[in-house]
Amino acid sequence: MTFRTRLLLLFATTVVVAVAFVGAIVSTTTRRAFERLDEQRVSAVAAQFRQELARREREIAPRVKDVAEADSTLAMAVCLSGADADPASCVEDVQPVAAAHNLDFLEMVSSNGTLISSAQWPARFLYREEWVTLRDDWNSQPPFLKREELPNDTALALTCVRVATVADRRLYVIGGEALDREFLSSFVLPTGMRALLYREPLSLTGAAGPVQQTAALAPVISEIRKRRAEVTRMVQWSADAASAETFHAIPLIGPGNELMGAFLVGSSRAEQVALERFLRRVEILVATGGILLALLVSLWTTARITRPVEALAAGARAVAAGDWKTYVEVRSGDEIGALAAAFNQMTRELLEQRDRLLQAERVAAWRELARRLAHELKNPLFPLQITVENLQRARAGHPGQFDEVFRESTATLLAELAKLRGIVGRFSDFARMPPPQLETVDLNGLVRESLKLFEAQLQSAGVTLHLELAADLRAIQADPGLLGRALQNLVLNAVDAMPLGGALTIRTSPEEGGVRVEVTDTGQGLTQEECGRLFTPYYTTKTHGTGLGLAIVQSVISDHGGRIAVRSEPGKGTTFTIDLA
Amino acid sequence: MEMRATPAALDPAAADAAPLASLVFEPLVRLDANGAPQPCLAISWQHDASAKRWQFNLRPGVKFHDGLAMLSAAVAASLQPALPGAALTASGDAILIRTGRPEPGLLLDLAHNGLIFAHDAGGGFVGTGPFRVASWEPGRRATLSANADYWGGRAFLDTIEVQMGRGLRDQLVDLEVGKTDVAELGPAELRRASGQGRTVWSSAPVRLIALVFSPGRPADPRLREALALSIDRAAMHSVLLQKQGEITAALLPQWLSGYAFAFPTAPDLARARALAAELPASARSLALGYDPAIAGGRAIAERVAVNARDAGLAVPVSPQNPQSDLALVELRVPSLDAARALAGIVLSAGLEAPQPDGPAPEALYASERRLLEDFRVIPLFHLPDLYGAAGRIRVFQPPPVARLGEWRWETVWLSGTAP
Repeated sequence: MTFRTRLLLLFATTVVVAVAFVGAIVSTTTRRAFERLDEQRVSAVAAQFRQELARREREIAPRVKDVAEADSTLAMAVCLSGADADPASCVEDVQPVAAAHNLDFLEMVSSNGTLISSAQWPARFLYREEWVTLRDDWNSQPPFLKREELPNDTALALTCVRVATVADRRLYVIGGEALDREFLSSFVLPTGMRALLYREPLSLTGAAGPVQQTAALAPVISEIRKRRAEVTRMVQWSADAASAETFHAIPLIGPGNELMGAFLVGSSRAEQVALERFLRRVEILVATGGILLALLVSLWTTARITRPVEALAAGARAVAAGDWKTYVEVRSGDEIGALAAAFNQMTRELLEQRDRLLQAERVAAWRELARRLAHELKNPLFPLQITVENLQRARAGHPGQFDEVFRESTATLLAELAKLRGIVGRFSDFARMPPPQLETVDLNGLVRESLKLFEAQLQSAGVTLHLELAADLRAIQADPGLLGRALQNLVLNAVDAMPLGGALTIRTSPEEGGVRVEVTDTGQGLTQEECGRLFTPYYTTKTHGTGLGLAIVQSVISDHGGRIAVRSEPGKGTTFTIDLA
Repeated sequence: MEMRATPAALDPAAADAAPLASLVFEPLVRLDANGAPQPCLAISWQHDASAKRWQFNLRPGVKFHDGLAMLSAAVAASLQPALPGAALTASGDAILIRTGRPEPGLLLDLAHNGLIFAHDAGGGFVGTGPFRVASWEPGRRATLSANADYWGGRAFLDTIEVQMGRGLRDQLVDLEVGKTDVAELGPAELRRASGQGRTVWSSAPVRLIALVFSPGRPADPRLREALALSIDRAAMHSVLLQKQGEITAALLPQWLSGYAFAFPTAPDLARARALAAELPASARSLALGYDPAIAGGRAIAERVAVNARDAGLAVPVSPQNPQSDLALVELRVPSLDAARALAGIVLSAGLEAPQPDGPAPEALYASERRLLEDFRVIPLFHLPDLYGAAGRIRVFQPPPVARLGEWRWETVWLSGTAP
C-alpha cells in the first residue's frame, strides 16, 4: 500500500469517524430533547383531559338533578305511580327533556327497573334496567363512566343517576354526556399530537371520526387491559418510521373496576424522524465532503512529500541499474531536500570512486598483464637464450658438431617460438572477443553437445558426470558457439579443480524470466578472496593457464545479458551459476 | 276532510283512492253490521246449487252521475276486471255470472271489489253513489257534492272538500284547530286524539303489518325463524300502537278467518338465541327496511331490531331499499271473502298463491300455515283504519267507516245544521 493510499485512508477514516461521532452525539441529544418535549406535551394533554373530565363531572350532576326535579319528570312519576299507570304514554317523553338539558343520553326507569323512556334508544322501552335499582343512594353518588348501548353502536358516557320520588315510588333519571368526537375536539393539541378515545371492546374514535386501523394499537390496549394503569408505548402505523407515534394511554375505569376504554394521546414522531433524516443527510454530506477534502489534502501532501521520495526511489533504482550519473532534483529545503542532496552527493562520490577504482583496476590489470606477459614470455625466452648460447659455444668450441647442434637448436628455437606465438594468440583472442550472434538455442542440447568433448577426459580424470536437466526448459536466444565455449571453460575449470577425481554436476532449471545453469564440482574449493577475484582477467589459482578462462566466461555471459556467480567453500567444491534471460 | 294519499284520479280500482271511491261508486250488494249481504245496486240475486252460476237483478231507475241510466251492460263491464275468468252476461235488468269453480263467497267479494262505474264523455269515471265529483285537482284537492238524484235519497252533507297529501301530524293539528272535520290517525295521533276526547272512527283490522323477506334472502331458514321468535309483539302493541288492532302471527285477521288465534304470537327468546347461535357470526345480520308510509313503521322496525339484538342478531334499520333483506310492509285485506283475501295478501307479499283444498276454514287454515311455516312472511299486527272526527260531526246510520275501510257518509251531518 502506497504512502498516498495510507494517507488518504487515514484522512478519510478520521473524517468519517469524527462525523459519525458528532452525528451520534447530535442524534442522541436531539432524540432526548424530543422525548423530553413529548413527555411534557403528553403530560399537558393528559392534565387537560383530567381537568376536562372533572369539569364535565361537575357539570353533569346538576343537569341530571335538574331533570329529576323538573315538572315533566314529576308528572311522569305521578303518572307511573297510579294504579292504572300506563308506561306507554311516557315512552316518547324524554327526548325533548334530554335536548332541553343538553344531555346526550337520558333514560327514565321505573321503580321496578323497567325502562320507561329512552332518549338515545327509544325502541328499548319496557326493557329491564335492574342495575339501577340495586342502590338507594344515587342522589349522593358522583358521575361515573358507563357504556351506552345504541341502536347501531356503543358509546362511552359520563353518566349520573338521580332519583325522583313520588308517593314512595322511585323514578330513576339516568342522564349522560357522550365522550365522543365533540369531547375530543375540545382539547387544544399542539401540532403533531392527537387525542383518541378507545372504547371496549374494540372501537377507536378521533376528533375527525372513527379510526379504522386499530390493529397497531392492540399492544397498547392489551397492556391497558392487563395493568389498568397508564401506559406509554410507541406505535408504528406503517413501514415508514415517520408514521410512528408515541401513545400515552389513560385507562377509563367504570364501576366495579371495569375497563370502559382509554384516552389515548398520540404524539407523532414525524418531526423527529424528519430531523434525524436531515441530520443523517448532513452527516453524509459532511463525510463525503471530508473524504473529498482528505483526497485533495492527501494529494497535495503526497505531492509535497512522496514525489521527492519517489524521485529519490527512482534515482536509487537507476543507480542500482548502473546509471550512476543519476541526479535527483528536489527544490525543497526540508528533510526531503537534504536527503536528495545527500543522494546526489552519494552518486557523485560513487562516480568518482568508480572512476578511481576503474583506474586502479586498469593499472592493476596492466600490471598483472605485464607480470603475466613477462612471466609467459620469460619462460620461452630462457630456452631461446640458452639455445643461442649453445649455438655460439658450439661454433666456437666444437665446429664439427655445429651442424648437429644447429639442427637441434633450430628445432628448439622453433618450438619455443611457437609457444610464444601461442601465448600471443591467446592474448589476441581475448582482446578480440566477438559480439554474440543470437539464435534460438536449446540449452539442454547445448549442454549435452558441449560435454561430448570431455567424455574421455572426464573418464580419465576419474570424474563422474551428473546431468540434472529440466525437461520443461524453454528455448533461449543465445550464440551457441560463445555459450558453448563458456560452458566448456567451466567444465574444464571443474576438471582442473578435481585432480584426484570427483563428481561434476550440471543442472539446468527454469527461473522466473529465464533459465539457470549450475556447474558444480566436488573439488578443493576456493576461499572468499579467491572467489572475489576469480573473474579478473589473467588471475588464476592454477600453476598453469593464462587466467583468461573465467574472464572469457564472464565476458560471454555478460554479452548475453546474463549474470554469473560463484559460491564455494574450501574443501567442499565450487558451484558456478549462470542466469540467462 | 284531509288524507295522506294523493290519488291522481278517482279510479274505482286504485288503492289510494279507495275511501273516496266508496262515496262515489257503489257495489251490487253491501254487508250490514252483521256481515249479511244487503241489496244495493242489485235488488235480488240467486245462484245455483254449485254456486257457479249467479244472477243479479239490478235496481231499476238508477242513474249514473252524468244522468245516464245504469244499464246491465255497463254493470257487466264494470265487474269484469274484478272477476277474471268469469263469464258475465247482461240480460235486460239482470246480469249473469258464470264461474269455473264454486264461488260461495262471491257476494262478500263483490261487496268490496265490485264497484259499478261508467265512463263519461271525457273518459273519466262516473258512479251512482251518494256523492259525485264536483272538482278534482290530481294529488291536491277534490270537492264532492251530494247527488240529488241518488236512489237512496240525497246525502245529508252538501259537499265534501278533500285535502290530499297531508301528513298525519298536520291532519291532527288541523283537526284540533277546526281546519278539518275528519283526519286520518296514526298510533301517535290516536293517543292525542283520544286524550282530547275526540270521536274516533275505526274500520275492522284490515291492514296487516308484517315483515316480508326479499326473494332469496336470507338463504338460511334458521335466521328467519330466529328473528320471528325474537319479536315481542305485545310491547309494540301496547306502546307503539296504543293497543289498537290485534297482535297476530297470521295473514288473515281473526274477525275474517276465525282461526288467527291458532298462530302463536309470544316470543321464544331462548329458542331464537339457540337458532342464532347455530349460525356463523357473519350470517347473523339482516338489513331491515321499512315503508315510510306506514304510520309508526320506523318505531316498529327499530323495536324489531332491539328484539333481534337480544337474540344475537344484528338488524340495522333503514328506509326500504334494494339492499334490504327484509322489509316492514303494510298489506291490506282486499276482500271480505277469506279465500280471496288470503290470495290477495299473498299476492301482495310476493309469495306463491295458496292452493286451499276447499272453501272450508280448515282448508284455509292449512293453506295459511303452509304459507307461514318457512317464515318468509312474519305477520305482526292487524290494524284498523282510524279517523278522528270533529265534535260537530254527527252520524245517523250506518257507521261512517265500513269493515274494509269504505266510507259510508250519506248519513253524516254537521251539528247545527238540519239533517
